[in-house]
Amino acid sequence: MDLDGDGNLDILSGSYSRDGEDMAGLFQVLHGKADRTFAAATVLNGSDGQPLILPTRGGRDNITDRICTRPFAVDLDGDGKLDIVSGNFTGTFAWFRGEGNGKFTPTSEPLPATGKLQVDAHSDPFLIDWDGDGDFDLLSGSSAGGVFLFANDGSKTEPEFGKRQTLLKPAGHGHDGDGELVFGDAHLQGPQGSTRVWADDVDGDGKLDLLVGDTVTLHFCADGVDEQTARSKDAEWQKKQQKLFESMTGDDADARAQFQKAWEELRAERETFLREQMTGSVWLLRQQ
Amino acid sequence: MLNTVMLLSALMPIPQGPQFAPPVRLKGGDAFVAVEAPGFAAPSWHDVDGDGRKDLVVGQFRDGKMHLFKNEGDGKLAAGTWIMAEGNIAQVPGVW
Repeated sequence: MDLDGDGNLDILSGSYSRDGEDMAGLFQVLHGKADRTFAAATVLNGSDGQPLILPTRGGRDNITDRICTRPFAVDLDGDGKLDIVSGNFTGTFAWFRGEGNGKFTPTSEPLPATGKLQVDAHSDPFLIDWDGDGDFDLLSGSSAGGVFLFANDGSKTEPEFGKRQTLLKPAGHGHDGDGELVFGDAHLQGPQGSTRVWADDVDGDGKLDLLVGDTVTLHFCADGVDEQTARSKDAEWQKKQQKLFESMTGDDADARAQFQKAWEELRAERETFLREQMTGSVWLLRQQ
Repeated sequence: MLNTVMLLSALMPIPQGPQFAPPVRLKGGDAFVAVEAPGFAAPSWHDVDGDGRKDLVVGQFRDGKMHLFKNEGDGKLAAGTWIMAEGNIAQVPGVW
């Protein structure tokens, strides 16, 4: 989107956390240039000159509130100024109102909603008039996968998001790692976990389609190992792993170091017969 | 007869909400679009190169880098190239 109104396409991104200070994912902008190249990323500040940061409920247990999983720029209240709606690790949605020309209020507010507005974790806001009634509806992926719709039951100037509807059922946590070991990627039939969503009429048929990114762990046999052997050895390895976890006692530094050493040795043993590859794909879901 | 129709209607699944064709795993060139470990592919759809066709940009967790897959038309995407910033592969700080 053109965040600063200079006519050039900019890239807006969230981030996991800054270094050296309390955990907080900063908003980063790669400003577009007239020649369609981009400047290096810079931190997006609020109109007070300080970095925009997501709110937290406070306390050590809620530090993930500030991990910025995805910001999305949109004129949500129809005042002609771009706002930012952001997701976080916790799965909620924050709204930084725009002040025009790429400026945003320093503090955010929760998106107005008729009920609980949350996904299981890793909220991923994308706003578009999904139902064609003239206002912005909220789409989101999530850590567990799937695509969710929160229709705007309010208006173009006073949004209020309704109950969660499922457009794509979540694959679930660990979907690719549970049950019988599957090799390669030929078994993949659709988006897995940690979904990231974009909606547009990709195929030009007049209907909004979904582009869905995901995360998956693939398994391959190590060199010179056949699938039957890898499967058999992994079954034994899983028992060893369970035994290791059950044997972990104490929370002092020595106990943690001992556990870490044993865990690394066990991981190395697995790599002699099995190779894991974490990756992600992009899926097109054409609306019919 | 009417009761039979009503019973059959009750047993038949009624589509709710939008219906989608089976998911298609996108390719860039001859290879599936894929991000580096640990994954977290984040797609967007914009006309980045100004040719009038929207292109696929895919962000990833590793180093906060982004791949551009130019739209070649007829449903085809070119092989991915890294989005660059000032001569270097663009990276978003705070992602590793």
